[in-house]
Amino acid sequence: MASRDRTARVAVLGTSVQRSRNERRPSRGRTANVRRVVLLGLVLLALVLLTVSFRSPTSGALHDAQGYGASALRPFQVAAERVARPFRDAYDYVSGLTGAKAENKKLHREVRQLRAQYVANLAAASQLAEFKALLHFEELKTFPKSFRPVNTTVISFPGTFAQQVTIAAGSSSGLRINTPVVTADGLIGRVTNVTPRTAQVTLLSDPQSSVPAVDITHHVSGLIRRGPRGTFDLDRVAKEAIVKKGDVIVTRGTVDRKLPDYYPYGIPIGTVLSASPSDIATFLTVQVTPYARFDQLDAVAALVPKK
Amino acid sequence: MSGVDGLKAAALLFVAAIFQVSIFSQARVLGGEPQILLVTLVAVALLRGSMFGAIGGFFGGLVVDTATLSKLGLTSLVLTLAGYWIGRYGETTGRDRAHAPFLSVGVTTVLYAFGVLIVRFVLGEPAPAGPMVRGLVPSIVLNLILTAPVYWLVRRLLRPLDHGDYATEVQLLG
Repeated sequence: MASRDRTARVAVLGTSVQRSRNERRPSRGRTANVRRVVLLGLVLLALVLLTVSFRSPTSGALHDAQGYGASALRPFQVAAERVARPFRDAYDYVSGLTGAKAENKKLHREVRQLRAQYVANLAAASQLAEFKALLHFEELKTFPKSFRPVNTTVISFPGTFAQQVTIAAGSSSGLRINTPVVTADGLIGRVTNVTPRTAQVTLLSDPQSSVPAVDITHHVSGLIRRGPRGTFDLDRVAKEAIVKKGDVIVTRGTVDRKLPDYYPYGIPIGTVLSASPSDIATFLTVQVTPYARFDQLDAVAALVPKK
Repeated sequence: MSGVDGLKAAALLFVAAIFQVSIFSQARVLGGEPQILLVTLVAVALLRGSMFGAIGGFFGGLVVDTATLSKLGLTSLVLTLAGYWIGRYGETTGRDRAHAPFLSVGVTTVLYAFGVLIVRFVLGEPAPAGPMVRGLVPSIVLNLILTAPVYWLVRRLLRPLDHGDYATEVQLLG
């Protein structure tokens, strides 16, 4: 054991350190023990938090505490988001300019197609009321009559693993678990956790997400899911069904009152990119391009039932 | 080391955590994501040791999990271990070496990614390994770009300790 007043050479650095007689330091063993106890305590605490979080993810005392914490952090998140907004806007502006010419050509083509579709829709709409009366059609929840939008912003974004965002509106604005969330382009997901001032939205791009959807052109139903290569697929479509490239996919809505769907009928999801049968697959392989840009989420609206 | 250092480190990690969830999570380049919280934690742990690293990691992870309404403790668990390990490296062989922050950030980025992946997998949460592996190299590059300015800033706020402050951890010779 080295005495306190001798010159100590530090092994790693090879420098000499003269310790004063009065200097008091904890022993090496004691410091190491404290360090290990702190590490062990923190790891155990993290495991306890994880366990409680998993046992009651959307309720309970810990969830309430997390809700208060999230509400307290919300102003900081909003402030950070505002600080970043000019930079993000500048980036979007520059990247938008580079693709503007190609997009202009594409939009012109779409306008021509939509004009033709509009004329066809006008003709169909004039017959709709008559057909409804003939069929004694009972109208279920439809968008937007039965819902009011709660407009808000995204305050945190998905990480590498979790396809979830946090929005700056919560149960105090009427949001509940499974409330659908949309952008101006289309559906993005549903609320999976809610606190008074914030809510967590699980995106359609989450591997566990599935949305009943319908091809409104050919009236083919299926489930929108994230495909194995990160694409969106309209799953569970029979091989004999007709689905064409460019068909519009919307939410199917409630079909049976006993089994209400989270999503109202008619929220745009995307267009069919390709549809092809496979010899080994049971169903048709339908790839869908979503309308919503999941990498550029900013302003969103949660659809809250009016009743 | 003092309480003032602790407050400074807590403020740094809090700001880094808020910036991480509000800004940096969205800044994806080639599938990679810059992790300013991890880089800040590495800088704090290198300059102040394993205790600061572990406690700072736990605190930073708790802020992230609270802000994103994720499972509490998930990020804390991985960051606590990362902070402790980098702190030990800083207390021993990494001390005063110019490449230590860059080496630590590079290694921690890989370990953190696999750590989160493993914890999520064990807990039965979605843990897609493919996107994570594809985005790993861009993430390392982005984090290394962040390292120099973040380490410089943290070093200005938390002055490096004297060698004597580490001496209780070192075997004396002669």
